[in-house]
Amino acid sequence: MKLARTVTICIALLMVFSLQAGAQSAPAQAFKNVTIHTNGNTIESGTIVWRNGVITAIGEEVSIPFDAYVRDGGDSLHVYPGFIDGMALWGSPEPKEYDEAPDEPGNPTYERAGIQPFRHPASLLEVKDKSLVKAQKHGFTTAALGLKGQMLPGQIDLFFINGEKTQNYILDRGIGVLAQFEGAQGAAYPSTLMGVMAQYRQLFYDAKAQMQQQVYFASVGGSYPAPDHERVLEALYPVMKQQQPFYFVVNSDENIERLFTLQDELGFDVILVSGKEAYKKADELKERNIPVLVSIDLPEKPEWKTDDKEDENLTDEKEHFRKRQMEAYKADVTNIKKLLEAGVKVGYASNGLKLSKLHENISTLLDEGGLSEDQILKLFTKSTADILGYGQKMGDLKKGHIASFSVFTKPFIEKDTSVLYSVSNGEVMEFEPESSKKSGDKDE
Amino acid sequence: MKKILLLVFALCLSLNSYAQEMGSVLIKNGTVITITNGNKADTDVLIEDGIITKIGRNLSAPNGVPVVDASGKYVMPGIIDAHSHIAAVDVNEWTNPVTAEVTMEESVNPNDINIYWALAGGVTTINLMHGSANVIGGRNETLKLRYGASVDEMRFDGAQQTIKFALGENPTRVHGQGFGVKPRTRMGVAQVIRSHFDAAIDYRRNRQNYLEAKKAYENGEREMPPVPVARNLRLEVLADILEGDIWVHCHSYRADEITMLMRVFDDYGIENYTFQHANEAFKVAPELRKHGAHASVFSDWWAYKFEVYYSTAYNASILNANGVITSINSDSGELIRHLNHEAAKTVHYGGTTKQDALKMITINPAIQLGIDDRVGSIEVGKDGDVVIWSGHPLSIYSIAQASYINGVKYFDRSEDPNDMRLEVNPETNFNETATRWYEENGRHGESCMQGAKISFTANGMKLH
Repeated sequence: MKLARTVTICIALLMVFSLQAGAQSAPAQAFKNVTIHTNGNTIESGTIVWRNGVITAIGEEVSIPFDAYVRDGGDSLHVYPGFIDGMALWGSPEPKEYDEAPDEPGNPTYERAGIQPFRHPASLLEVKDKSLVKAQKHGFTTAALGLKGQMLPGQIDLFFINGEKTQNYILDRGIGVLAQFEGAQGAAYPSTLMGVMAQYRQLFYDAKAQMQQQVYFASVGGSYPAPDHERVLEALYPVMKQQQPFYFVVNSDENIERLFTLQDELGFDVILVSGKEAYKKADELKERNIPVLVSIDLPEKPEWKTDDKEDENLTDEKEHFRKRQMEAYKADVTNIKKLLEAGVKVGYASNGLKLSKLHENISTLLDEGGLSEDQILKLFTKSTADILGYGQKMGDLKKGHIASFSVFTKPFIEKDTSVLYSVSNGEVMEFEPESSKKSGDKDE
Repeated sequence: MKKILLLVFALCLSLNSYAQEMGSVLIKNGTVITITNGNKADTDVLIEDGIITKIGRNLSAPNGVPVVDASGKYVMPGIIDAHSHIAAVDVNEWTNPVTAEVTMEESVNPNDINIYWALAGGVTTINLMHGSANVIGGRNETLKLRYGASVDEMRFDGAQQTIKFALGENPTRVHGQGFGVKPRTRMGVAQVIRSHFDAAIDYRRNRQNYLEAKKAYENGEREMPPVPVARNLRLEVLADILEGDIWVHCHSYRADEITMLMRVFDDYGIENYTFQHANEAFKVAPELRKHGAHASVFSDWWAYKFEVYYSTAYNASILNANGVITSINSDSGELIRHLNHEAAKTVHYGGTTKQDALKMITINPAIQLGIDDRVGSIEVGKDGDVVIWSGHPLSIYSIAQASYINGVKYFDRSEDPNDMRLEVNPETNFNETATRWYEENGRHGESCMQGAKISFTANGMKLH
């Protein structure tokens, strides 16, 4: 009996220790005495604790586990949820350049025409791309990555951004298929917008026929011809079945209308990317429940506006033109505000915007775009997470959320702020403060 | 029944999807050039909700309908340009000898300032054409020049669908010489058309057979499933041409190639077609008349390439005298501003009557575009697309003063502001935005070949 009791206790103890050992294989980490900015709240002198890539505690009065590695912010650092890029091209190889027209320009291979929806950034990522580190330095910890190219460059894969290690930090593969109104390079079909429109239709028709033959082949015995397995067409099946959305890069009012036409005919789900003139179609976007991962590649202010010199040849016509230019500028920089007012779901996508332009454009959105700091933070975090389908796991700083956040020296909207720590899925990357760098060291 | 309900539902949707503005106006005391019923002095034209409802003297305006005094002026139907490339995003999907699957409907730029300038020249409807780089190009789009409206709102609702064909130097240069694919010669052009029509016939039959077999298989009336025949947009459009649902507008110059195409069309039973440019059409005018073929020509534009050296300013007049429905077109953002002068040249050179000359820019192009039941003349029941001219439209001194489409005024010389651009880019320099079509393209610009990147060097032709 005594032996049995001893054995039981031993087993119980072993179980407890082994469980603890399993659960605490990675020590906890924490930042204390930091200002924490969640969506809608600010916690002064706060603490954030995480373990195994998950936030375990956050707030003012938080007990820090005994095994935690703690960094003290000295009440001068600011913690923000990691920024999420809804469609970035970081790490994408450059598209192949073609000097010659194909043998039959009207009938190029799918590759030559820029139609490769089966390609995955996860397999093609150029890990040495400096953007993957620079992105962290600008507050990004997660990004949906696409590939550069033309009509259908490939799939969208979701990554935790972590410098060169990003390739191994895949959160989700194939969350969408990138699509554009971009014709093939040089003299190859499709070379025009109308050609691209026709090509989308034909791809869907061909995919439908191939899929049908595959279904028939699988359902009957012999005497039926084996179907093709063209991977370009197979990659479109989930889009046709509305299991995967198109991430469609569109900017102009008219092209958004063209996208609606295709959507009505072919019946796919879509997330609009870039959408510089999306405000002109705000009501219809809302009606169709199409979210917009908006670009903040804002126009430069009209050059005469920033030029101090008085124009001596200012005619009535020119003056009128300037007035209209200012109206157009204002309309462009208030795109996001108008979309939000119309009730459209708006997130963020860089879609090729240089990270070095980020801060300048955020300032413009604050000063002239009619957006508040909270709205901009939400755009870069929660709203984008929601659109990508990850709103329950990231985009905010909450217990149970993925530990992806950035520690800034000052509030993120301030001009001379910089990221000291980037925490991506719990892993910490430390950066040298911008102020301690020699001149010339600055990024981009 | 289900199908009918679906159809009604689809129709309601299409009607609701965009609204084309309709207006009302009473234009009083003008000399009304009806085109189809002579000129009427001191006459009023009443347009209500976009449609001409009354033509007569001493008409009174219903409540709320504005009155415009046209005393001493001429009122004419809006000019129709059967060959235009203004308001286009792209003109040529030049990469394949046959691109029937593309349509200019999807290449409309509603913000093009040239639309406004065309309105200022009294033009209210254009045939926005695909270019001439291919033997069978894309489908064309008939547009009403509702400047400031969306692409959908600019459509000429219910207009006949047409498609661009091209013969001669352009397609052989691009595809034969440039890309090393058929057609290299005019013989090849004919063969490309025939082989594609044959393919379209096969396609329609095979596709139909497949759909029927699929249905039978799904209903258990057939044991083995059929092998799918994918829907093919290109061949579908070609089959529609063969069935008469789409009319052909063919870029052509030489009499021999015009005759060739009529023979090909005879073989395939195609009946509705117009030869565009057709500089040598006068040589085969009786044959055109016999076939019921139409011609849409320049008044006096020629010698810009080898195949257009044999030309004459009498072309339109000869065709007209032979009973060929003939229109004068622009193919240019410059000529479109004074198509009235272009029509007047047929009076000056060929002795055509003024009435017939005016038909060449109104009812005749309307017939060629299949919209003559709606526009091209001032008649009760037709669309209120009219233009008020300061004098007789064929006079060199006359200018368009106001242009109406469905009773809505889109141009008024007395209220012509300095800047009518619809879109202003905040980043553009003012001087860059002030160029005109003819400054960019010149009169002999590349209208029909826009986008097909060809240049001529000491070593011959080069495609970019």
